[in-house]
Amino acid sequence: MKLDWSIVWQSRWLLFDGALVTIALTALTMIIAVPGGIVLALMRGSRFRAVALFATGFVELFRNLPLLLLVYWAFYVLPVLTDVSLSPFTTGLTALCLNVSAYNSETFRSGINSIRKGQTEAGLAIGMSRVQVFRQIVLPQAWRRVLPILASTWVSLFKDTSLVSVIAVGELAHTAMQIRSQSFRVLEMLTAMGAIYWLMGYPQAKLTDWIHRRYGVRE
Amino acid sequence: MDFDFSPLIDSWRFLASGLGMTLLLSVTAVLCSFALGLAVGLGRLYGPVWLRVPLVFYIDSMRAIPVFVVLVWIYFSVPILTGRSFAPFWAALAGITLHVAAYVAEVIRAGISSIRKGQVQAGLALGMSRTQIIRDILLPQAVVRMLPAFGSIISVTIKDTAIAAVIAVPELMRQAETLAGETYRPIEIFSTIMVVYFLVIFPVTRLIDWFYGRVAHLGRS
Repeated sequence: MKLDWSIVWQSRWLLFDGALVTIALTALTMIIAVPGGIVLALMRGSRFRAVALFATGFVELFRNLPLLLLVYWAFYVLPVLTDVSLSPFTTGLTALCLNVSAYNSETFRSGINSIRKGQTEAGLAIGMSRVQVFRQIVLPQAWRRVLPILASTWVSLFKDTSLVSVIAVGELAHTAMQIRSQSFRVLEMLTAMGAIYWLMGYPQAKLTDWIHRRYGVRE
Repeated sequence: MDFDFSPLIDSWRFLASGLGMTLLLSVTAVLCSFALGLAVGLGRLYGPVWLRVPLVFYIDSMRAIPVFVVLVWIYFSVPILTGRSFAPFWAALAGITLHVAAYVAEVIRAGISSIRKGQVQAGLALGMSRTQIIRDILLPQAVVRMLPAFGSIISVTIKDTAIAAVIAVPELMRQAETLAGETYRPIEIFSTIMVVYFLVIFPVTRLIDWFYGRVAHLGRS
């Protein structure tokens, strides 16, 4: 077995671009899926049964499906439904947003529900409006419960972006797999891919632990 | 736009065999990762330092690397390193187990750490051994507290088995891809597969939640 690691150095800029696309996908998905999750959580608490039911169905469906299937489904179904052909990047982004919005909605819902009802009632009793109660009593407390879970979701999402490589989004996994099949340096490229993910993901995992320790609520 | 579901009716056996493979891979992966995760979790909590340091490194690394990367690396690189090839099923089982076991280990550690120290001290004061304390006091309570987390780990594992399609394990996702390619009916096929996956994963998580609701009081102290 002869190994030739120079291929990794030669393709450093391609891999760098791939890593940038991975980061862009992660950040964009989160930017869309946090408001998306809030909207879904509010819809689930709606007085209108149809709205609540739709949101519940949406969340339960996209939480209980393999992401890979969602990616393929988006790839084939979105162009037919919307009648425009989307780039692989947009398609992958859509699949990730559907998945992560569903997760985030559960995070926000449980964060808000964890604040005892008595506090809301007390706020209303001293004459605060519903919006005031939410902004000044519920939100500052719920935030501390939501933030650590959002951080964990971020790390999972960062890893999950590797799955959109199957529809040829040029992120890190796809780039590395491409170079592997063109250069036949299989072991070198796959190990480099793992190492780059590790270098990027390890600090994120550690940061998440820190956020859990710093902001996590202990009962 | 017209739909044609006849490929699904014609090839239902092909897809059913995929579902069987998905279930087989899920069950074996869950069993293996719980066994490995228990060993790693306990080793991390009670092991000597030379064992704890590499275990922490292993757990944190698995939290940083995507399953996809682990699977692909095992399937393509291990044969190059060892000179021996193996069926994709074993690569998938090994990759998913290595990945999920790290999460199981974390859940076990968190569950055991959540039991108050006073209980261990009480056990020691009564003259119980460490093994007895872990087995008779800590684990029975901790297991109940871990149930919700185990539920989500099981559902994550079933979802992760779909990634085995990438290395050509003939499970449900892979069979669906193949059939979609042959019949040019991807929308009908992937939409149907979605329903099938949902019908497998949703009841599993619900069942564990329901069971936890019934036994939650056993974990309180």
